[in-house]
Amino acid sequence: MLSLWLRRFSTDRIAKSHNKSRSKPRRPAAPLVVTGRRGNVELIVAVDDIAEQRGLSPGVALAQARAMHPVLDVIPEDAEADAALLETIADWCLRYTPLVACDAPDGLMLDISGCAHLYGGEDALVADLSSRLEAAGFAFSIALAGSIGAAWAAAHFGKPGSHACGTERKLLAPLPLAALRIAPETVASLARVGLKRIGDLIDLPRAPLTARFGSELLRQLDRALCAEHEPLTPRLPVAPYVAEQRFAEPIAREEDVLAITARLASRVKIALERRGDGARRLELTLFRTDGAVRRIAAGTSRPLRDPDDIRALFVERLTALADTLDPGFGFDMARLSVTVAEPCAPEQIGIGGREDAAAIGRLVDHLNARLGSQRVRRLTAQDSHIPELAAASVPAQMTGTDDGWAVFRRYRDDVELSPRPLRLFTRPEPIEAVAEVPDGPPLRFRWRRALHEVIAAEGPERIEGAWWSEHNGPARDYFRVEDKTGLRFWLFRAGLYRDLMRGDLVPGTPAPAWFLHGTFA
Amino acid sequence: MIEELRLRLQALQRPPGIDDDPGVLPLGVETIDGALGGGLARGALHEIAASGEAHVASAAGFVLGLSSLGNSAGKGEVVWVAEDMTLTESGEPYGPGLEAFGLRPERLVTVQAARTHDLLWAMEEALRCRAVATVIGEMREGEIDGVAVRRLSLAAAESGALALLLRATPPTDASTAATRWIVGASPSPGGGRSPSEARRGGVTFAVSLIRNRRGPTGSWILQWSDIDERFLLATHAQPVAAPLLDRPHRQVA
Repeated sequence: MLSLWLRRFSTDRIAKSHNKSRSKPRRPAAPLVVTGRRGNVELIVAVDDIAEQRGLSPGVALAQARAMHPVLDVIPEDAEADAALLETIADWCLRYTPLVACDAPDGLMLDISGCAHLYGGEDALVADLSSRLEAAGFAFSIALAGSIGAAWAAAHFGKPGSHACGTERKLLAPLPLAALRIAPETVASLARVGLKRIGDLIDLPRAPLTARFGSELLRQLDRALCAEHEPLTPRLPVAPYVAEQRFAEPIAREEDVLAITARLASRVKIALERRGDGARRLELTLFRTDGAVRRIAAGTSRPLRDPDDIRALFVERLTALADTLDPGFGFDMARLSVTVAEPCAPEQIGIGGREDAAAIGRLVDHLNARLGSQRVRRLTAQDSHIPELAAASVPAQMTGTDDGWAVFRRYRDDVELSPRPLRLFTRPEPIEAVAEVPDGPPLRFRWRRALHEVIAAEGPERIEGAWWSEHNGPARDYFRVEDKTGLRFWLFRAGLYRDLMRGDLVPGTPAPAWFLHGTFA
Repeated sequence: MIEELRLRLQALQRPPGIDDDPGVLPLGVETIDGALGGGLARGALHEIAASGEAHVASAAGFVLGLSSLGNSAGKGEVVWVAEDMTLTESGEPYGPGLEAFGLRPERLVTVQAARTHDLLWAMEEALRCRAVATVIGEMREGEIDGVAVRRLSLAAAESGALALLLRATPPTDASTAATRWIVGASPSPGGGRSPSEARRGGVTFAVSLIRNRRGPTGSWILQWSDIDERFLLATHAQPVAAPLLDRPHRQVA
């Protein structure tokens, strides 16, 4: 476990942003404090090095601090900006390990087990991380230990650096109790009975401690001492398949990025084949030399393994966001991860149907990558008698094998469903209609300002509303009508005039109205 | 040697859409097939325009009819690319109604394009896919440039698929498409009877071929028989010479 604590996180952020803008150069050597309102008092929540040397510390009221030091740079806290910056740093730490957790508000926790050798050992990894953080202008302390608790304690209170597994006891004993990550009230009450250091606690009988201070205290102690496992919750789900490549020289050209994608894809392919999986969602992560991270995701319509197909997918994605790729001074690392994988049956080559399915899948992926997945759709039949719900258009990548049309055909033949229009309006369009009294077919109607004289009509086909649902509407009577020029429409009247005349309508229900729902060829 | 090169040059210079290689698609109506030189050219781009905005559904029906004639095995996929506005203005393709024109809804992929540029790009990509039998591109008014049409024609010629451009209003721009049609609804024969009775013969279209790179143009009243899934010449006595079409581009004199 690696615990990273950015000691001066808020003030470093503010100093960095000032340096960047240069619009308002900071007065040199003026102590910088960040303040926030806690209850009714404006308190200092973070201080920089100079302020600390002058004796200011978090928790001091601003008024008091001003009294001590009239020259004070006071900046209100901005928790959102802090959180956003921490996320950026966490993204950037993905270069070391996929298991990165945010340790809010000002730290990160990295699980580097099994990753350190890629950088030539733990010390080399820490050195790499330190030099990058220093270059970025952060004050930090890094500690490595066998458990999350021990690493955190060492980074915040103890001696930074690497502590071997099994030395937790020695490491923790001299540290104050706050290093156990327990509530300040517990620390205070433990201090009242004379327990100040973790060492005081380790050998005490457990039962009375639990009885008096709750189970949380001993659990945190056990976790820090590796007696109980503490799970790390990574910020991003860990991809089941990952391949990555670091470059000695940063790359910037799009062709290079694509070439490296293909190479990574062929590495992923081996792993996918071994487990009989195919990729459904892929993510290409590009680490820029200056710490920015670009993530490019692409979905597929069927489990995919072929490196050429994967490369083709990213060709489209990169074209779609060509101007936002922005390589800056170049990328020094690339990672291809399969974020969603699905079993993919071994393929037999040369049987027509399957190849066609693959070809159409490739087309769908291709269109998706450029236009967006919401724009490429297939039709599925739904189990509903309400016309606009009977067929749904769903993104083509999400369609499963069962699209429901076989069931629909059986239902249509069973009930001898009357013909359905070729095109349907998502929202029925209101029309003004003159109809036979009381509930006959329309004689003429006005749709989009044009008058249509009905010469033939057929119906009604009554379709009841969904009475069990809150979207229930009145019953609809559908008519198929043809006008003088031969245009054929699907109209309906929502509600019945008969009910209105009899006074059966519940007060408040709208009067019957006519709508045009679709057009026949 | 020179002769051989000349032949090769000739083959290279043949305009797409007139190439006989992918074959033709007979409509099954003698007079039309005669005018088209055997039938609608496969591997070429055809423009079908509705005679007015209200007639878009009829034009779409005609397009789907052509598509299912060309795909009688029902195996190939149909890709329908439409601009966003067309779907709100003319309605979306409705699955349960498609089968009347021989299109199984599970074979349809719909693509929404935000701009004409995307529409033409998506059509071209779809034409390059071997599993696609028909590509339908639906656009509202507006012109498309000759280069894009040419690219589509070339892509269609390469794959042998049918490329159909469906337009909501009769176009006024020049076109390099193999044929251009104007399609509208026509009153069912024996008007006044209930539609289902009148429709025994099928859905009726007023079709006019206004541009044909292979031969004469003409106007016909056609019916689509959803039982046989083919076009028939309307049998009722109705003047065929002047269908109710808005043809501003013809009002030259």
